[in-house]
Amino acid sequence: MNAPGAALLEVDGLNVGFKTSDGLVRAVTDVSFRIDPGEVLAVVGESGSGKSVTALALMKLHPRSAVISGTAMFDGVDLLALGDADMRAVRGNSIAMVFQDPMTALNPVFTVGFQISEAVLAHNDVTKKAAWARTVELLDLVGVPEPRQRASQYPHEFSGGMRQRAMIAMAISNDPKLLIADEPTTALDVTVQAQVMEVLREVRKETGAAMMLITHDLGLVAGAADRVQVMYASRLFEAGAIDDIFYDSRNPYTRALLGSIPQVDSERTERLLAIPGNPPSLLNPSPGCPFMPRCSERVERCTEELPTLLEIRGREHRSRCHLAQELAPISEVLP
Amino acid sequence: MFAYSIRRILTTIPLLLVALYLVYIGVSVTTDPLAEFRLCLPRCQEGYDRIVELYNLDQSVFVRPFGWAADAITGDFGTSNVAGQPVSTVLWERGINSAMIAIPAFLLAAVLALLLSVYSARRQYSAGDYVLTGLSFFGIAFPAFVLGLVLQVIFAIKLPEWTGWKLFYTGGKRTDNIGEIIGTVTLPVVTLATLFVAADSRFGRAAMLEVINSDFIRTARAKGLSERRVIWRHALRNALIPLVTLWALNFSALLGGSVITESVFSWPGLGQILIPALQRPDLDMVMGIVIFTAIITVVFNLLADLLYGVLDPRIRYD
Repeated sequence: MNAPGAALLEVDGLNVGFKTSDGLVRAVTDVSFRIDPGEVLAVVGESGSGKSVTALALMKLHPRSAVISGTAMFDGVDLLALGDADMRAVRGNSIAMVFQDPMTALNPVFTVGFQISEAVLAHNDVTKKAAWARTVELLDLVGVPEPRQRASQYPHEFSGGMRQRAMIAMAISNDPKLLIADEPTTALDVTVQAQVMEVLREVRKETGAAMMLITHDLGLVAGAADRVQVMYASRLFEAGAIDDIFYDSRNPYTRALLGSIPQVDSERTERLLAIPGNPPSLLNPSPGCPFMPRCSERVERCTEELPTLLEIRGREHRSRCHLAQELAPISEVLP
Repeated sequence: MFAYSIRRILTTIPLLLVALYLVYIGVSVTTDPLAEFRLCLPRCQEGYDRIVELYNLDQSVFVRPFGWAADAITGDFGTSNVAGQPVSTVLWERGINSAMIAIPAFLLAAVLALLLSVYSARRQYSAGDYVLTGLSFFGIAFPAFVLGLVLQVIFAIKLPEWTGWKLFYTGGKRTDNIGEIIGTVTLPVVTLATLFVAADSRFGRAAMLEVINSDFIRTARAKGLSERRVIWRHALRNALIPLVTLWALNFSALLGGSVITESVFSWPGLGQILIPALQRPDLDMVMGIVIFTAIITVVFNLLADLLYGVLDPRIRYD
């Protein structure tokens, strides 16, 4: 058991690279973070920023071509050093995952109930009948109506929202300590997104699980997370408590992301802010700050030197920017 | 599902009729059963008239197939002049012989292709995968008559010379002794199976790779399932769906008799009699073989379609 105040997950110096014919593509570079028991950490970034790869590496579900280094201490053991059999005992048990696209994440040829009960049977010495009863109970918990009948239906008989509920039921079947939700609402309708986030909130209340919420939707983060970390071009760019990020961001990239959220009460004539340009190639990164070409605040130094993750005012707020201490208050920058 | 089967069978009947009609005309216009008799006329007028009578040669070529069909409906498929027996008897006896090598060859090919597909897909781009890829192209490119002859020379001729063990035979069907039949059947079975394994394992590898890289396989792993269960239960069930079509086609092709393999091994199956029947021409025999293979193809395709419904719950027949 953990000592009080100890982290549930402590990732230190995580690097993930993919060998390609053109060289090593660095998908995750020197990422360190922690998740405390019961808290929600949101990982935010554009596509290709390394947020999903980070999660897959923790579960060791990354492609075989990946090269990984670093440590990830979870409940006293280093996940990255675990063998296949030990890792299987962790997967779906103390760490469970909810994936992005519920339309493809369930096997089309087996019933939803079968697939959930498999997760129960994989980690518990119970009969199939008991596992089925637990499956029905789980489906009920995540708000699937008529769970007894629905359990024996196939995924194609479920709507997108119902499938994601089934995925969540599968993920919480063994009371995980950590739930990794990889863009759980991206593939869903807006109205269904809210329902799924509500289900996630309720099951966390029920199980007390911590959650790593991976998303590119800052609007989703605002209502759900305790802490936020922003990733860009395989690196952590900013990390901190949710209020520090939303109201006192010290990073031009985070600010640009915040500026690109559409506001309901803004004038119709205002153009939606987009960040100009594209993220850099992760092959042979240039020595300077990877966000430099798109940054509105860039100075001479940014082309030559990669900024370090700076601690801001001694709080648990870190930002990778040369100007982190000098940036104007966010209220003056954003409308 | 029953109604669907009936509907499927009914829709293939017109197709079958058109195919038979065209084959009959095709064989009729490209061959002349009277050729030998024309040379000896008028001395052999009697024989000439008998052949004219037998094949209704006094009628138009477009009308003659109907006469054959009228008899065929009553179960009379005519007499084979190559075999000197009723066509139905020849089809039955030779069909069983063809099945004796077709069924083991099919089963061997299916099991081997499946194992090799799974191996290649799981170890994509490994040395083993490259070796199997190379071998399968070799197998696809290798003609049956070369492979058959090589196997005959090595296992049926040289092996007894070197070791004194007479385990395999070059061909023919001599006795009813079960051991000897197995010894005779083995080499043609291996020849046929090799050709199908080579092609099927390529196809199976592609099907398996597509499944292995899909999201639901990642979900299965994320649940903490064993790798064996992930592959043999979650992945294979999905990869089998496209393979079933291929197997149905393979099996019906095999049952219809393999012309080359049966000839190389002097195996008295349907394939072996097709060539002399075409050359002669033994029109009734050709038509018998065509209708036999056509029906088998239709039946196995139907079975494949029904099997889809069992393997893939998204498919409904109604």
